[in-house]
Amino acid sequence: MAVATKLQGTTADASHEDLVARTRRRRRIESILIDKVLAYGFLIVMSIFALFPFAWMFSTSIKTPQEAFVIPPRWIPHHITFSAYRVFWDTHAANNNNIARYFLNSTIVSIGTMILSVLIAVPAAYAFARFIFPGKNPFFYIILGRNMFPLVVFLVPLFQLMATLKLQNNYFGLVLAYLTFSLPLAIWLLKGFFDNIPVELEKAARIDGCTRFGAFLRVILPLTTPGIVATAIYSFIGAWNEYIFATTLTSDPKLRTLPVGQAFFLNENSSQWAELMAVSLVISIPVVAFFLLLQRYFIRALTEGAVKG
Amino acid sequence: MAEVVLTDVVKTYGTVIAVDNVSLTVEDGEFVTLVGPSGCGKTTTLNLIAGLLDITSGTIAIGGRVINDLDPKDRDIAMVFQNYALYPHKSVYENLAFPLKMRGEKKDEIERKVRAAADSLGIKELLDRRPRELSGGQQQRVALGRAVVRNPQVFLMDEPLSNLDAKLRVQTRAEIKRLHRDLNATVVYVTHDQLEAMTMSDRVAVMGGGTVHQYGTPLEVFDTPADLFVASFIGSPAMNILRGTLQQDGAASVRVGSSRWPLPQRLSTAAKAMNAGPDVAYGVRHRDLSVSRTEMPDSVHGIVYAVEPTGDITFVHARVGSDAIVASVEPDVDLAPDEDVWLAPNLDRIHIFDGVTGLAIRDKITSPGQAPRASFASEAMAFEDLPVAPEVPSVTGRE
Repeated sequence: MAVATKLQGTTADASHEDLVARTRRRRRIESILIDKVLAYGFLIVMSIFALFPFAWMFSTSIKTPQEAFVIPPRWIPHHITFSAYRVFWDTHAANNNNIARYFLNSTIVSIGTMILSVLIAVPAAYAFARFIFPGKNPFFYIILGRNMFPLVVFLVPLFQLMATLKLQNNYFGLVLAYLTFSLPLAIWLLKGFFDNIPVELEKAARIDGCTRFGAFLRVILPLTTPGIVATAIYSFIGAWNEYIFATTLTSDPKLRTLPVGQAFFLNENSSQWAELMAVSLVISIPVVAFFLLLQRYFIRALTEGAVKG
Repeated sequence: MAEVVLTDVVKTYGTVIAVDNVSLTVEDGEFVTLVGPSGCGKTTTLNLIAGLLDITSGTIAIGGRVINDLDPKDRDIAMVFQNYALYPHKSVYENLAFPLKMRGEKKDEIERKVRAAADSLGIKELLDRRPRELSGGQQQRVALGRAVVRNPQVFLMDEPLSNLDAKLRVQTRAEIKRLHRDLNATVVYVTHDQLEAMTMSDRVAVMGGGTVHQYGTPLEVFDTPADLFVASFIGSPAMNILRGTLQQDGAASVRVGSSRWPLPQRLSTAAKAMNAGPDVAYGVRHRDLSVSRTEMPDSVHGIVYAVEPTGDITFVHARVGSDAIVASVEPDVDLAPDEDVWLAPNLDRIHIFDGVTGLAIRDKITSPGQAPRASFASEAMAFEDLPVAPEVPSVTGRE
């Protein structure tokens, strides 16, 4: 009798426990689901926000001038035409703008800025991160202080400077002008990456048989590659998108960069929206491609900067 | 292996003196620890030996060769860092191979040495991993391995244990000690942990304010501290230090507030001989104080403030006047806060220091270090005396 009751008790207990376990499992699955729905919902909203301009640029670039102004706006135009894309090879269609040449100009100036920025900023940032020298802090604040002023402030003095140095209408002159904003940022960014690398690593390398420069090459540089790549991308994009300096320091149409040339589609006589959008879309391609190619470095640079390993 | 000789080494940063005239000889095969509070110059000294900092003046010689102006890579040293400083972008194997590679050794020779070092440290299964995939203890072994693999003349270790948890620290401490013995290596070790210094070293250099206050065996610095700094730094809990005035009328003693702490005649004479005093500091370690509920000869009255049982020993915090005193008793002794106790210092193991210079006042014949340490038996007896203390004339009555 007693045994029977006990048995009954245990089976009841067992089924109850089973139920509790199942409920718990179900709740856990539910909460995971809710998390996923929220996360993906947020990502979808952000993606729409980011992709909307691209979609709109593309949509407008394949519209006729009339349809570009239709209200309500149409995502998919009734008359699809790719004639706006002729601007890339047909200078006549492009209002006498040689867009292909501008593309080349932009590439030369941006890559030049990127390379010079990195070449100068890496040793500068390393010095700020590792060495003690007189005037170190004031000098660093001056470099940082550059970022407090809008670029326009430098426009007139730079113009006069370039005129004196005969560097107007010159790739190198433009690169020099771009260095005024890309270098301070690059030095500041890279200093952060160097700061995050423990000094002991260099000490260890020097004891293990490296010279100071050898330690930098063999240990520090490989570890800061993500940071250097990220900095290079910043410098490239900054130069690629720049308009004011380019338009002020180049008067020769042959030396126009893409943002300058693009602006000529909107003038007192005409507004070539489709052409403008076609060029805009193409301008953004290198930037997007850069990010896609190097995003793993970029993300590593950002996370490594935040969390000390 | 080689001896390391520091002669009048000075390192200054602008007007700040980080290392002030340090002279130190580390014998061939000796394990020497630089110990002191943070900012005492011990790590700077180590970096000077390593060549990671430039010496302001003085000389450092390794194996009879002055190495002041040599690059770290040419000094034939290896260093273990507190944060291990493993190369994060290299595998464990590459980390161990790096110093050999930089010295241009042959590939198969490198392979043989790396495997041998990994074998002896029990990390051969980890050779393909990256440092970030290892536990703290494993990283520590790899760091040791990278130092050992090259068989350098001198090992420099900068707080290598302080990032480990307590249990692993004790274990690794023993392993490093064993490693030192097996390799017959010259080791200069830096720590702020006096327990590490005491347990691992052949000799200890107690540093403070950029100078070496005392250089001797662990027992020497413990038993015969050269000055107040060493006395208060070595030993845990710290030595009881009481500031008072030397009384030489009648029985020698040190007056601290209204209490009179007994002093053996030899120390009183030594003080007179050294022209020290009357301001002195009276030092006595917790183990050298007998605690009794009743008055004993040469004892001082105090009131129990708190009792801390640790299991194998019980610390008694007492107030004597305005001074806080720590004594220790056997764990079975049951004292309660606010109880009256009498504290009797072991007269053979008392220290006094000049109140102005802080230097130890010692008689040449029987310094405390040569006095017999209280054995366990005699300590135990003192505590057994507790319940039935002998009838003795009161200390104050002698005045």
